[in-house]
Amino acid sequence: MDVFVKPGGDVPPLWYYGHDDHDQIATKTFGFWLYMLSDALIFAGLFAAYAVLDQPMNMAGGPTAAQIVHPVAAFWQTMAVMTSVLAYSLATVALKTGNKAGVLLGMIVAFVLGLAFIGLELNDFANLMAQGITPDRSGFLSAFFVLIASHGLHMVFGLLWMFVLMIQCLRSGFSQDIVSRLLNLRMFWQFQASVWVCVYVFIYLRGAA
Amino acid sequence: MPVHLQGAWSLLFGRLTLSAIPYDSGILIGAFAFSAIAGLAIVIPTIYYGKVGYLFREWLTTVDHKKIGVMYILLGLVMMFRGFADGFMIRTQQVMADGPHSPGYMGSLHGYLPPFHFDQIYSSHGTIMILFAVTPILTGLGNIVVPLQIGARDMAFPVMNAISLWLTAVGAALVMASLFIGTFSDAGWVGLAPLTELPYSPGVGVDYWMWAIQISSIGTTLNAINIIATIVGMRAPGMTWGRIPIFTWTTLSTNIIGLTAFPVLGVALALLGADRYLGTHFYTAGQGGNLMLYTDLFWIWGHPEVYFLVLPAFGVISEVIPTFSEKPLFGYFTMVAATFAIAGVSWAVWLHHFFTMGAGPYVNTFFSVATMLVGIPTGVKVFNWLFTLYRGRLTYDTPMLWALGALFLLLVGGLTGMMLAVPAIDYTVHNSVFVIAHFHCMVLLIAYAIFAAVAYWFPKVFGFKLDERSGKLFFATFSLGTTLTFVAMFALGFQGETRRLDYLFDPQWKPLLIVEEIGIFLYCASCYYFAKMLYVSIRDRAKNKVGADPWHSSRTLEWLTHSPVPYYNFAVMPQVNALDELAWRRERGVHEVGPDHYEPIHMPKNSVIPLIIGVFAFGFGFGMVWRIWWMAAISLLVIIATIIIRSFIRSPGYEISAAELAQMEARDEAVGILSDSEGQTLGVEAKA
Amino acid sequence: MLFLAGCVPASYRLFHPNGPIANLELRSTIVDVAVMLVIILPVAVLICVFMWRYRKSANAAYDPHWSHSLTLEILVWAVPLVTVAVLAFFSYETTLAVNPYGPAVLGGADAAPKVRMASVAPAMPGMVMQTPDPSPAGPLQIDVITTDWQWFFIYPQLHIATIDELVVPQGRDVEFHMTSATVVNDFFVPELVPMMDVMPGMQTLDMFRAKNTGTYEGFSADFSGAGFAWMQFAARVVTPQDYAGWVSSVQASPDHLSYADFERLAQTTINIGAKPSYFSAVQDGLLAHVYDEVRNGKVYPVPDNLTETMTANATN
Repeated sequence: MDVFVKPGGDVPPLWYYGHDDHDQIATKTFGFWLYMLSDALIFAGLFAAYAVLDQPMNMAGGPTAAQIVHPVAAFWQTMAVMTSVLAYSLATVALKTGNKAGVLLGMIVAFVLGLAFIGLELNDFANLMAQGITPDRSGFLSAFFVLIASHGLHMVFGLLWMFVLMIQCLRSGFSQDIVSRLLNLRMFWQFQASVWVCVYVFIYLRGAA
Repeated sequence: MPVHLQGAWSLLFGRLTLSAIPYDSGILIGAFAFSAIAGLAIVIPTIYYGKVGYLFREWLTTVDHKKIGVMYILLGLVMMFRGFADGFMIRTQQVMADGPHSPGYMGSLHGYLPPFHFDQIYSSHGTIMILFAVTPILTGLGNIVVPLQIGARDMAFPVMNAISLWLTAVGAALVMASLFIGTFSDAGWVGLAPLTELPYSPGVGVDYWMWAIQISSIGTTLNAINIIATIVGMRAPGMTWGRIPIFTWTTLSTNIIGLTAFPVLGVALALLGADRYLGTHFYTAGQGGNLMLYTDLFWIWGHPEVYFLVLPAFGVISEVIPTFSEKPLFGYFTMVAATFAIAGVSWAVWLHHFFTMGAGPYVNTFFSVATMLVGIPTGVKVFNWLFTLYRGRLTYDTPMLWALGALFLLLVGGLTGMMLAVPAIDYTVHNSVFVIAHFHCMVLLIAYAIFAAVAYWFPKVFGFKLDERSGKLFFATFSLGTTLTFVAMFALGFQGETRRLDYLFDPQWKPLLIVEEIGIFLYCASCYYFAKMLYVSIRDRAKNKVGADPWHSSRTLEWLTHSPVPYYNFAVMPQVNALDELAWRRERGVHEVGPDHYEPIHMPKNSVIPLIIGVFAFGFGFGMVWRIWWMAAISLLVIIATIIIRSFIRSPGYEISAAELAQMEARDEAVGILSDSEGQTLGVEAKA
Repeated sequence: MLFLAGCVPASYRLFHPNGPIANLELRSTIVDVAVMLVIILPVAVLICVFMWRYRKSANAAYDPHWSHSLTLEILVWAVPLVTVAVLAFFSYETTLAVNPYGPAVLGGADAAPKVRMASVAPAMPGMVMQTPDPSPAGPLQIDVITTDWQWFFIYPQLHIATIDELVVPQGRDVEFHMTSATVVNDFFVPELVPMMDVMPGMQTLDMFRAKNTGTYEGFSADFSGAGFAWMQFAARVVTPQDYAGWVSSVQASPDHLSYADFERLAQTTINIGAKPSYFSAVQDGLLAHVYDEVRNGKVYPVPDNLTETMTANATN
């Protein structure tokens, strides 16, 4: 099949008749990596904002990090994220053998654990707001709520994606499109988990220390 | 948490009331009438000649990178005209409102624009020129040229490419909407904090500015992903990294900047949005906010953005000068290295935009030296262009004139840039019009490169050359205007005139202000010649028809395929054997050797999804600006639903059979950009 | 420089520096331009020469393959590198020399009393203001507060204040402590003082010493809203005798300035023509008070869509 047109003499081939060997999944995955790079920059900006506003002068008389973070309570959130990632990873292990039930089971568990994470976070926010600790209280609290909520929004987006993908897996099995989405969602999910680790260390552990 | 607002709010219309329509301002009525007539001048013929379907099928829903690129450039040129009109109004106000005894008209104490109106005009001038004129045009150029230069049939993600276009268009549409519904920001194109906070900007102007930039910059980020993925993954066989054309290299570096810088802008604006919509305290002076945070975040994007714009301009110059010198670019590898050096350093210089904000001397020195480092690779580029000219055979077609003009602007911009990089000098001219003149030299350098690129690649895309005579008159009037306006502006900087003034207290500035005004009238003349250039070129298109390589000395792959480029770009993938593939083939006398047979190729199908997303993104932006929550919420839901629905639809694209290809390739002119996929043609081809 | 000052009209404010800081800034400008021109002029000339010499119709030497030369490529990196190295060192030296927080040309850190230096960490908000050093031998202290859109100049050692007029004695170091009640402005007298931002919720410093007497136009250089273009003030450098006379005349002013007065005067105002006002018995620590209030969330809201006259009518 790979035939080159040679005009003769010592001129190398001018036209290429090979297969279009641009790998679709690889291109999509590379594009998705680039998206995550830009997303990482968003979080870098938010973390920078938090670092700038986590100074005594930015409390404006309001509570400090030490007064509002509960690393032990948030530890359960960390566990939820981590086990959710584990479940999703197991789903992709099942994907290797084309085990549809295994994939769906893993995704359902990951989805439920993700929901649990969001639930815990909303509960935490509700408790703080009930005490009058709101984002408009001080510059520090603005950064605190917005950083954590930005991560939470990413998680919600990931859960929506996971939900849609579960339906698509059920409907049409493992087509090339769906496999590449499953793999990209795995990257996204792990990426959000690592952002959460940064949030947990930087806000919760450092804040309580 | 809901923020207390001045004025009325209703559930159905948000903050929007009839009084938001500026029917009492003659200037705005005039602008509206002009825009309406211009719009009707396009819409009515489209309907009359029955081209609505064509427009919808072949342009609005296209995923063809060339058509998307052309639409980007059209959008950019229209917005550039709007930005120029703003510039004209700024100059005219300043020349009229000089000195305490200068007369006032139309309800203004001096000049003809009251402060709030003038402030909107200068803010929109900057916003439009940077984000809605130059950025889309360069993005469009990258869209058109990069896939052709690397021998690809399309971008890596064709549908996402169209989404990027429509999001950019939505941003521009929001800026235009602010002319007639409500007001635009009067807090500068940089959005000076805390001036952009609700107490100091209670109207919708800042919201328009913020959402327009936010939405369009999502488009720019997506486009950056697309172009990087295209360059990395879609190159023709044999196109190794060492054979990538220089314009593609600069576009790659620029989009790496774009990909990493625009998210930071997104954060800066999102936090401002939180302040304005949720009452948080990120950038307020009180309650624990920090306005420096905004300034830093904005310029961490803002300075890379400058190089985001200037690097592809350098790329254009690096393509045009060798072509019209009939020899290769001097020092290809150092040129690529210099490009990435500029891109790299661009991240470490942002603080030079606010040396006067009271950072310590060591911080200032660090950023001063980092800024100067940019001068090294830039100097390398200038030297390389110089040596490219050496022992060449120079012809002075319009693209070459623009490219050489850009070189001189770079020298002036570089000289003054090195002055501004020294804090001790910056302290005296920081916010003066000296800075304005400096960065206009740089931005005009980009504009020069853009006009060079338009003249250079126009025949490739449309199949006929632009008229040389009016093109050269356009260049002459534009350059004379540039010289007069900005030499006078440098001088005014030394006289102490600061920027953004709607009233100038010193009558001694008058003579130079008049010189600037003459310059701006020369720009008006250049607009006339630009329009004439387009008119004459289109009128004489049959006469100016060109073959695959209209300049006869071009060096890169895009000149190998037909002009106009068929929608599938290359009927058969070229095998790349060298840097400057076409020059390599020309030397061996095989540049006109075509493929001996054809094989079926696979193309993506057009899609209406990007247009739907664009329409509802406008709804979202407009709803947010006026706080019409239902409209914003519904629009957002529709966008998400559209994306989800699209993920359920498998779009396998379609095949062009070998026979069809052979038939299309055998014709005198291939199926170009103005023809539709059934081979129905408009314009040039119709005459053939 | 004398040559410049001699033959350039007075309207070129930056070419008529008064005092060591403004002098040094002009000198930096000249040196920097000279160094850059050593590179840029030959390049510009060479471009023109090549453009003429190698035009196609001239049939000059044509070398269609020449695109690389190791010597030249090393040179094209080396020349800008050396230039930048020279200018970088120059930039470092001059930055320290005119550093607004203790300019070396005025005696460096010694010029600014240590306690006060400590109070103004660069651009860091929230620092506590120290009591001004009252010793008459030290620099003249002037507190600068901007509002929308006027300048308050407070002489804390003398308990006097002005709006839109700055009077200083010649030959004495003057040290400005600056803050804004509303948005960011930029303090600038081209012949005398380098630009320095005046920011709400933060404090910045600026210093200068004037050599000759004279009257100059000072103004805000950073956009601050609708009345920004009218934010001029007269900056007068007078002899010590005249200065003493001026001080006693202001001390006799019937208008006083407490924080309550300030709040009233700081309402949105466009002072067309920069008409000065004078105050005696100025409250101690007014700058610190304004600063604290702003940090606590005090704002002076501005109506939308201002015209000059609307504001002028609304407040005066």
